Amino acid sequence: MKKIMIAALTLGTTVSANMAMAADITPEQSRQQFVDYFKAKSPSIEFNEYGNGVYNYNPDQRMQWQAAEEFPPYLDFIDAGEALWEKDQAVYENCFGKDVTKVRVMYPRFNEKTQKVETLEGQINQCRTDAKLKPFGWKKGDIANLSAYLAYQARGQQIDVKIESEGAKKAFLDGQAYFSKPRGQFGLACAECHVYNAGRRARGNTLGPALGQTSHVPMYRAKWKELGTLHRRYEGCDKNMRIVPAKVQSETYKNLEFFEAYMANGIEINGPGYRE
Amino acid sequence: MLKKQMKHLLTVLAITTAMVSVPTVSNAAGKNASDIEQGKELAFSRSKGNCLACHAIPGGNLPGNIGPALIAMKLRFPEKSDLFDKIWGKPDKSMPYSMMPQFGHNGVLTDAEINKIVDFLYQL
Ligand code: HEC
Ligand code: HEC
Repeated sequence: MKKIMIAALTLGTTVSANMAMAADITPEQSRQQFVDYFKAKSPSIEFNEYGNGVYNYNPDQRMQWQAAEEFPPYLDFIDAGEALWEKDQAVYENCFGKDVTKVRVMYPRFNEKTQKVETLEGQINQCRTDAKLKPFGWKKGDIANLSAYLAYQARGQQIDVKIESEGAKKAFLDGQAYFSKPRGQFGLACAECHVYNAGRRARGNTLGPALGQTSHVPMYRAKWKELGTLHRRYEGCDKNMRIVPAKVQSETYKNLEFFEAYMANGIEINGPGYRE
Repeated sequence: MLKKQMKHLLTVLAITTAMVSVPTVSNAAGKNASDIEQGKELAFSRSKGNCLACHAIPGGNLPGNIGPALIAMKLRFPEKSDLFDKIWGKPDKSMPYSMMPQFGHNGVLTDAEINKIVDFLYQL
């Protein structure tokens, strides 16, 4: 067990020492170790269940969550997203193709020409500005509603992020470093809460697993009473760690999303998800 | 009228007894009592120690369970200075891969603040 932990966290907390090693193993080996780590940690949780995040760890919360998902409060937002798609349909079809069920699964992806990661939200706004339309705000509202509509249409398909070049591998490693590097006054890393201590409680909050964190985005949060993007959530956790967050849709967060999504390969898309 | 006088008398009494009792208290427990109280506040406050995020501590609500419960600290740390060093984050007291913040090392808390927290924990 100890051995698995150390291996899985070649993604380690002592990143400086481990980065050289991390570069030596392939992203696919990293992913396999990551999945094995969670399997060893909680043998009874089915792989695909990691799309349901923190609700794997707490039966009471899981029951409340299932009840919420029966009459989900996000349906109106999905309808709003559909209306947005239809309003500028020709523009979007030009960028993403005619099949709305096939958009979510394309992202995040590495663009070999620009040598940068593309996210769904980033490309929605890129598509709009290319067509001389006003871009949406980044974290909530229209962008989240349209993204949620596309996620909903893609439900049931598996996350399938590809790394096929040195550039893509570099973006992955950059995201991995952000994920595992201790930062700020508390010396905390994402990995501390969402890998080593997943399932434990920080105050009253159970810590969810990092595996599958991108399956159900954007998410509806009871706390927000609306949808928010994955990067909005990244920003929130960075702030909780008392560090200055990166900018949403910056290269830093895009690489982080690329890393997390690659780690979640094979998990079914189930967005938008309800969270507390 | 009588009632009013009574009330007045009671107030005066209350004030004088208060005045009398203050020195008694501080003589008995010394500076320590308020240090312990301040230490508790520092440990529980979300903007300071926020120890409850990770530790159960007697008297604290909704604790996390990332770290061990902070009880029987005298048994655990016979040397009071070891407890200080642990919270301060001296390298030889830090565990690899631990989420325990290095409060002094990283400047989250001053040495004086850590000392008060130690006073509070040491009597639990
Ligand atoms: C001090 C603990 C802590 C740290 C450090 C932390 N988080 Fe979180 N995070 C939480 C808690 C608590 C939640 C809410 C419960 C949950 O869903 O995991 C959460 C939720 C999330 C979610 C939403 C999960 C979902 O299923 O919808 C994402 C995504 C996330 N965190 C990413 C990150 C990333 C990336 C980092 C590092 C930049 C990070 N977190 C650092 C505590 C932390
Ligand atoms: C983010 C999580 C976190 C916070 C906040 C935190 N701790 Fe810890 N603490 C831990 C963990 C994990 C351990 C166990 C591993 C270790 O000893 O480093 C620990 C260990 C300890 C120990 C050693 C206990 C023993 O029996 O060995 C003491 C004492 C302690 N913490 C005190 C504090 C105090 C006091 C505060 C607040 C000022 C605090 N901690 C805040 C996570 C935390």
